[in-house]
Amino acid sequence: MAEVEIVSVSKAFGKTQAVSGLSLTVGDGEFVALLGPTGAGKTTALRLIAGLEQLDSGSIRIDGRDMTAAAPADRDVAFVFQQYSLYPHLTVFENMAFALRAPTRRVAEADIRTKVQEVARLLHIETKLDNKATQLSGGQMQRVAIGRALVRSPSIYLMDEPLSSLDAKLRGELRLELKRIQVELGATILYVTHDQTEAMTMASRIGVIEGGRLMQIGTPREIYENPINAHVAARLGQPVINLLPAALFGSAPVGAATVGARTEHLTIARGSGDVSATVKRVEHLGDQSHLHLDLAGRPVVTLADPEAGFGAGDVVSLRLNKPLFFDANGWRVAA
Amino acid sequence: MNELSASSRITYRAVMVRPGVTRRIRGLSDRALAWLFITPTIVLLLAINIFPLLWTIYLSFTNYRANRSNVPTIWLGADWYQSILTDPDIWAAMQVTAHFVIWTVVIETVLGFGLAYLIDKKFRGHGMWTTIILLPMMLSPAVVGNFWTFLYQPQIGLFNYVVAFFTGRAASSFQMLGDVTLSPWAIVIVDAWMWTPYVMLICLAGLRSIPDYIYEAAEVDRASKWRQFWSITLPMALPFIMLAVLFRGIENFKMFDMVNLLTGGGPGSTTEVASITLKRAAFESWRTGYSSAFAIILFVTVFGLANIYVKALNKVKSR
Repeated sequence: MAEVEIVSVSKAFGKTQAVSGLSLTVGDGEFVALLGPTGAGKTTALRLIAGLEQLDSGSIRIDGRDMTAAAPADRDVAFVFQQYSLYPHLTVFENMAFALRAPTRRVAEADIRTKVQEVARLLHIETKLDNKATQLSGGQMQRVAIGRALVRSPSIYLMDEPLSSLDAKLRGELRLELKRIQVELGATILYVTHDQTEAMTMASRIGVIEGGRLMQIGTPREIYENPINAHVAARLGQPVINLLPAALFGSAPVGAATVGARTEHLTIARGSGDVSATVKRVEHLGDQSHLHLDLAGRPVVTLADPEAGFGAGDVVSLRLNKPLFFDANGWRVAA
Repeated sequence: MNELSASSRITYRAVMVRPGVTRRIRGLSDRALAWLFITPTIVLLLAINIFPLLWTIYLSFTNYRANRSNVPTIWLGADWYQSILTDPDIWAAMQVTAHFVIWTVVIETVLGFGLAYLIDKKFRGHGMWTTIILLPMMLSPAVVGNFWTFLYQPQIGLFNYVVAFFTGRAASSFQMLGDVTLSPWAIVIVDAWMWTPYVMLICLAGLRSIPDYIYEAAEVDRASKWRQFWSITLPMALPFIMLAVLFRGIENFKMFDMVNLLTGGGPGSTTEVASITLKRAAFESWRTGYSSAFAIILFVTVFGLANIYVKALNKVKSR
């Protein structure tokens, strides 16, 4: 395990600037998640670190050594691909042993066996070792793909949306397991995802990336509570933060153009008040309900207790409770 | 008034026709419709494939001669089969065929896969090169046979000239088509020239089916190019290679046109592949019963070998 440091890295594909001026340090034993929408440049950033793409400018240091121009094999990184990327004609065991059998590593066959079995137990696939890689379910394939990275002890594990192709239940399970394994091994992980839940639950720090640029990096709490702009604020929180004109509400600080109100920033009461809205639709999710409101022609989505018994057509009053404020360009304004 | 009656007549007709058509279409069940569509094909297959095959089997047990249809046909049992399988000339023809099939398949597979591997590297202009390489395959075997006869011509042939240029031997000192040791190779060269592109095309499809990220994973796993080739490229392209071998093997077992044009089986019988022997027996000696029996033997041989091979292919594919 080691520290990975990338400094103002840029990469363009033709006319598309995939990554621009990205700087990021992943500390030893840290779990950093890069969160962003599709096409934000997350995967490109990961591939640049792995050496699968050549960068246009900037530098990459792994464990203190300059790796900017090194071949993928020399960087001592492990990569978990989104599409599993298993060797289909090999067994699970052979897939996991593949990297260890590289002649440059000189690992004894007995040690390989011990190591693979150890990792397989960790991932609960020890009974599948003799199966062909293609005879597994999606969840098992992804475990093998992760296992193939884990048998090595690389400087850093680079994971490209490894759970995105799994169903929700399995994703939840593997999320917990991955975090457990990371803590157990003290592994350094850079994890790319567009799923805020994965980023929030696993990462020690989250980097929010948008249009090839790193917008903000910090602990999940920092990012959630103190987003530097409306983009970052919109990345986290379920339902998505409501961005409303500040003029709709009375007391806004100087320069604030937009109010960002998540569920916890809104107090709802029956009957009309200073700011009134109409209930358009109620989605019952069981333990809670999504309340779709109409506030002077603008949609507002918030959570409500199902016991509150709101129905379509009801008039409610809204009160803000320490919301976030943004200026006309979307940058944060102190309350 | 007149206008109105005209338009009402049209409406009336439309109403009358519609239910009739619908009923006729509705009257056919899906199954009946399916039979309707495939019956012509089945009839055609029966007429030009199955019936001749059965008829040939029958003829192979008789003394029938196509040029003496008035002679009464006598049932001979398995006599022809016995005499064919013990005939040294037939075994010589089978050996010539085996030599031709094995060498063409080996050369075409090695060269075809090699070319596909190079083309797959996607260098500049690889599309144009693919087209150029595929050209021989698009020619008719008759054309190929004819112009290779010219290329092999000892005095003016380009092939002899090129060999002479590189080896220093006189161009007219050897005859590719007239020499007993060279002519079996002459037909192998022409077939390889013509059909290597075909094998390349199939291999290329196989290579293109291997996703890039598998190579990337191997790259990160520190697999050398050599190891990537042996543990990823070759095993994953193998079903395609085997398919190409199957197609070429069957085709060349039946090879007739190109060889017939180039050498006609000569000199002597050094390039007399089985189908030429068959044609001579059937249409020069008019031994219809005998040649029918030989045709059945060839058919069973190809069919048997192909079946064993397909089993092996399926095994590889299911890995």
